[in-house]
Amino acid sequence: MFRLAIEKALNHMVNVNDINITRLDNSLVSVYVDDIDLRLFFLCLNSRIFVIENSEQKNTNVDITLNKKAFLALFKGISFEDLIESEDIEINGSIKTAQQLADLLALSSIDIEELISQYTGDIIAHQLGQTLDRIKGSSSQEKDSFVENLKNEFTTLLIAPSRSKFFKKARSR
Amino acid sequence: MDKTTHFGFKQVDVEKKQGLVKGVFDSVAGKYDLMNDVMSMGTHRLWKNYTISSSNVSEGDHVLDIAGGTGDLAIKFRKKVGESGKVILSDINGSMLNEGRKNLLNHGIIDVDFVQANAESLPFEDNTFDCVSIAFGLRNVTNKDVALQQMYRVLKKGGTLLILEFSKVENEMLKKIYDLYSFNVIPKFGEFFANDEDSYQYLAESIRKHPDQETLKSMALDAGFGFCEYHNLTGGIVALHKAIKT
Repeated sequence: MFRLAIEKALNHMVNVNDINITRLDNSLVSVYVDDIDLRLFFLCLNSRIFVIENSEQKNTNVDITLNKKAFLALFKGISFEDLIESEDIEINGSIKTAQQLADLLALSSIDIEELISQYTGDIIAHQLGQTLDRIKGSSSQEKDSFVENLKNEFTTLLIAPSRSKFFKKARSR
Repeated sequence: MDKTTHFGFKQVDVEKKQGLVKGVFDSVAGKYDLMNDVMSMGTHRLWKNYTISSSNVSEGDHVLDIAGGTGDLAIKFRKKVGESGKVILSDINGSMLNEGRKNLLNHGIIDVDFVQANAESLPFEDNTFDCVSIAFGLRNVTNKDVALQQMYRVLKKGGTLLILEFSKVENEMLKKIYDLYSFNVIPKFGEFFANDEDSYQYLAESIRKHPDQETLKSMALDAGFGFCEYHNLTGGIVALHKAIKT
């Protein structure tokens, strides 16, 4: 739903405002938001934009890695140069293509904070589910050490989720 | 080479399947919409709305709805493409097309074209459509690989194929309930509402013989599509595959 919402908003904007995106045609851009483990691929074909989750091992024109703060800022129209200067973004490949995509995102009027909160809400629910599974599957372990581990893990999860084992597992999938 | 294929749980000669499927749909055409509402408890409308919402179809687009039957997708696509666009509803079965014609007229739609066609040999030029859809039709096609290649052929570059179809339920508990429902309740509904238990027994069986989500995705990629992703709906009872021609 997250990707579909972005895809619909971008295409609607392009159609309604008659924006020419032929410069982006045949481009595949990877965007990775590292602190929430969100990867999106933006594919532009025949003046349509697709937001997909798997590149099917095709070569990308540019790979963008950034943190959540920078990702949100992109939708709010922050200058691309400012982001690069702040070192909140890492770009491998065509900077021109990255800039063109950033311009589109800035124009899109997507309520990205709302979408992101839904997405991260899903992750937390998933992590809690995994934790409950671990509790169920660990009845043979010593209770004290298990509770201690669980407490540590929850503390890490709440304070620094990117360092949590659960997060690392989700990332490696 | 294997000359037989499945028709529900039965093995039949390849050349006989099309006629058998025709028999099923000739029989159910008049009660098709009613039965869809009864069997899915109205959920099929949500699945179809999600399909339309995922389509990226906009004003002026050309859309082909294969196995379009009674026309519920075509009606929604027609609204999206507007007067400058074009929607073609195709179905191999004449009885279903007649139901579609009546249904669209009842909605005041007169500018959708109807084409009786086999999905394995679509009578359209290459690179014609921005979107091709097939909802609850692919599992009845004998040579699915050939049909997918045809869909790829008639799509423009950047065009989207949407396959809405019953699929594999992932949750074991839901699967048990679903099996019980589809093999014991649905045929009885068929008997009660449409006076046709056998056709609805076939429906339940054909769903189990249809490729699962990952297999169908691979088939779409093999047919030439550059990308294919799927989204499970109602726990995988139904999946929407979206494939892009690159």
